[in-house]
Amino acid sequence: MAAQTQSYVVNWFAGAAYTQDDNCPGGINPGLDIQFARELKSVGMDAKEVEKLIGWYLSNTHQFEVDTAIRFRGRYQGKPVNAFNNPQTVPDPKLKYVTGKYGYGFNLDGKGQDDPKAFVDPQTQEKGIDNQLFRAMGCLEGFRGSLVNHPTYWYWIWQTIRDSQPAWLVTVSGEDLKKDGPVTITFDRALEYMISNNGGEARADVTYRVDPDPRSHNVFQGEIKNGVATVTEHKNFQMLQNSWGVPELNLHNFHLRMTVNPDRSMEAIIGGYQPWHHLYFAFAHGGLSREISSGSIPGIYYLLKQQADAEPNPKTGSNSAISAAYHIKAVPAFIATEPSSVAGAPAPGRSPAGGQR
Amino acid sequence: MKRRMMGDAALVAMAAGLLMSGAGVDVARAAAVSKDAAVHIPGAAVTRRLSPSQYEATIRDVFGPTVTLGGRFEPEVRRDGLLAIGQGYVSVTSTGMQQYEAMSRAIAAQVIDERHRDIVIPCKPADAKTADDACAAMFLGKVGRALYGRPLTKDELGTQVVASNMAAKELKDFYQGMWLSLASMLASPEFLFREEKLKAKADKNGWYDLEPYAKASKLSFFLWNARPDAQLLTATEKGELDNARGLKKQVDRLMASPRFEEGLRAFFTDMYGLDELDTMTKDAVIYPKFDSRIAADAKEQTLRTVMNVVLEQNGDYRDIFVTPKTYLTRRLGAIYGVPIVNDAANGAPEQWQAYEFAKDDPRVGIVSHMSFLALHSPPGRSSPTLRGKALREVMMCQKVPAPPAAVEFKIVQDTSNPDYKTARARLTVHATNPVCAGCHKIIDPLGLALENFDGTGAYRLTENGVPIDTSGALNGVSFNNAAGLGKAMHDSPATADCVLNRLVSYGLGRLPAKGETEWVKALGKGFADDGYRVRDLVRAIATDPAFYKASGPSVPAEAKPEKSQAAN
Repeated sequence: MAAQTQSYVVNWFAGAAYTQDDNCPGGINPGLDIQFARELKSVGMDAKEVEKLIGWYLSNTHQFEVDTAIRFRGRYQGKPVNAFNNPQTVPDPKLKYVTGKYGYGFNLDGKGQDDPKAFVDPQTQEKGIDNQLFRAMGCLEGFRGSLVNHPTYWYWIWQTIRDSQPAWLVTVSGEDLKKDGPVTITFDRALEYMISNNGGEARADVTYRVDPDPRSHNVFQGEIKNGVATVTEHKNFQMLQNSWGVPELNLHNFHLRMTVNPDRSMEAIIGGYQPWHHLYFAFAHGGLSREISSGSIPGIYYLLKQQADAEPNPKTGSNSAISAAYHIKAVPAFIATEPSSVAGAPAPGRSPAGGQR
Repeated sequence: MKRRMMGDAALVAMAAGLLMSGAGVDVARAAAVSKDAAVHIPGAAVTRRLSPSQYEATIRDVFGPTVTLGGRFEPEVRRDGLLAIGQGYVSVTSTGMQQYEAMSRAIAAQVIDERHRDIVIPCKPADAKTADDACAAMFLGKVGRALYGRPLTKDELGTQVVASNMAAKELKDFYQGMWLSLASMLASPEFLFREEKLKAKADKNGWYDLEPYAKASKLSFFLWNARPDAQLLTATEKGELDNARGLKKQVDRLMASPRFEEGLRAFFTDMYGLDELDTMTKDAVIYPKFDSRIAADAKEQTLRTVMNVVLEQNGDYRDIFVTPKTYLTRRLGAIYGVPIVNDAANGAPEQWQAYEFAKDDPRVGIVSHMSFLALHSPPGRSSPTLRGKALREVMMCQKVPAPPAAVEFKIVQDTSNPDYKTARARLTVHATNPVCAGCHKIIDPLGLALENFDGTGAYRLTENGVPIDTSGALNGVSFNNAAGLGKAMHDSPATADCVLNRLVSYGLGRLPAKGETEWVKALGKGFADDGYRVRDLVRAIATDPAFYKASGPSVPAEAKPEKSQAAN
């Protein structure tokens, strides 16, 4: 075991957003009433019928009729079909996407400033940042926000899943975590759910056991440089999450940068290429409720498909993965891989293992 | 409706008969005999209101754990350091009587419902649509004996049977008759209070022995915090408690039972004021880890630790101040900053884990537990003064005077004052006021040793960025931190004397009378000679005839002296 080990339980998970007033051309995508009206008309619904449905939608009446019309707004061979499961049955509503300069993430493809589609990271000022997920989603109202002002969509997702899914654990090990040098960074899933404080945030210094399931076990070699930890090997990252959020978070060519705050909490940006079909069906899974918080679900399908930038399908040539960056926050925790082995995040002045069980 | 009116009438009549009563000292007689200090002069008998835990335990014992109470109790009153003494000074307010009555109705209704009646009622009426003398007498006699801790008198049973028969006939339901009588018994003073009835004849010194059932009751509440069980009542009926051998046999039996732990827990909960954790609050912004669940865990942690020392290990009581061993949950582990692993499934109650703090860890003994540290701190900060005061008063039974009126506390309370960043600095300035200095001199050096623990008991090295100085002294013994304080507490004669006095007072329901001083001293000598083992001390008290003597009947509360002379 390394001389020092610091462990955390994840306290926040969200797409890394960097919203600016002018980063969407001509403003953000319209509200749902306008969007629904457009899409219903685009599949051939009579204008008066559309007006009636939107009236009901806005007055929160005839919910069954509204829900059915919106859910089954797809058309296949002239018949209504579920538009969430079959987004191609709705014409592309051509939602807007981010055209601004800045976005969090990593230079995944190595092209750097030569990449015309890339962002500049507002934290590191690094150019050539690949985060097409932010580009795709960043003009939908529910996805707009920052690392401080959390996007509504992700806030809703996290509030829903945080107390009912096994917690995510992060461990950093190295000779001296206060100095530059090599480290090992591990991501695991806990057997226990996160324990919250009164305010809902994760309680610090709680002990979690590691779930031995290899599907959520990730070990990366990395380094600390100028107080920032990064991974130096860019393997694939896989964590089981929650069907309400992302059932399984897969990030290929995994990147990370992590800092520790003065209050002992940790913050990180993680990124990589994510299979966008997984992501789409996570959005579609919530149906209408997801549309209310995120925008047109079929529209998101077209956005993701359009902005996907990696791993082309050998047969079709279309990209199956999209560059992405996520923001995580975590608080110190103790992690037990087995009863006799407890890695800790000691409180100030305490020895890591404290005493004996 | 008719049933309700009949019930009300019976219950209200009984409520009207409740009397305030409590402890007192037969001053004149004591003065006459006290020339000879060796003569034991007992205090007066005591009548006490059942505590909520005693009420609950009795209902559970008699009717089973599935019968719920369905009401709330009046607040308890702590007096001379103990709720057990306060119980002798309280009456029942009209609101409290309403609650008792509501509970009695609710409990009785559950007992006669189809889920419970065949289990609790030992007979079936010949005809469930009318009265049944034999079955009513059998049930009411059995249940009355368990509720009152003595057999019902012929008149009492007769009255209850007649009342239940009348109701059964009127309502055409045997069980409604049972409901009425049972509800009235549950709301009667015979159940709600424990009266120490005395034998009619005094002994050769003029003192009275408790009447046998009162003796059994005193013994049972002392050891189990509950009314006598069937075996103890049977032994009482056979007169076995009248001789030392019979009494010892029952004491041995009660102390060998797992319920003895319940009794000891009740005592230590009372002595340390752990009941106050049930209503303790903290500022959630300053202490986000605090919630009611962790407060309950904190209480349980201290009780488990004390039980381990005094019961499981049968160790030296004073070790509770120096033991690094304790029991923790994951939530408590988060407060203490130590890893606690358990196998409980998500959502299941947390399991307790034995834990031993490292040798050099300042967290030793129960005064470093969250229960003590958080309880004796205001909601948003720590307080060396409150903690020091509690160490003196709760752990050493010493009286600290109340602060004088019109004292300025602003400096002490302002933790953000840039000129006084630590509690020690703030208290140093505060204590320049000569009116305050006297008391702070004796309490602050103790409390400051615990300043490494914040208002919830979490460990810290600094306050507002300034290193915390935890040095202090107790009776000339200097120490550098909480562990040193614990050692000084362990070595101070006051801590052993305190538990002795509290335990005797807890059993008596009053402070020891002047004439009982020699008896308490002798108990103390035995306690010390036996290595300060609480088990042995409990046994010594419970088997001593002096414990069951009284100078006379209890006197009304208003006649009692306001201030006590013992328990320094």
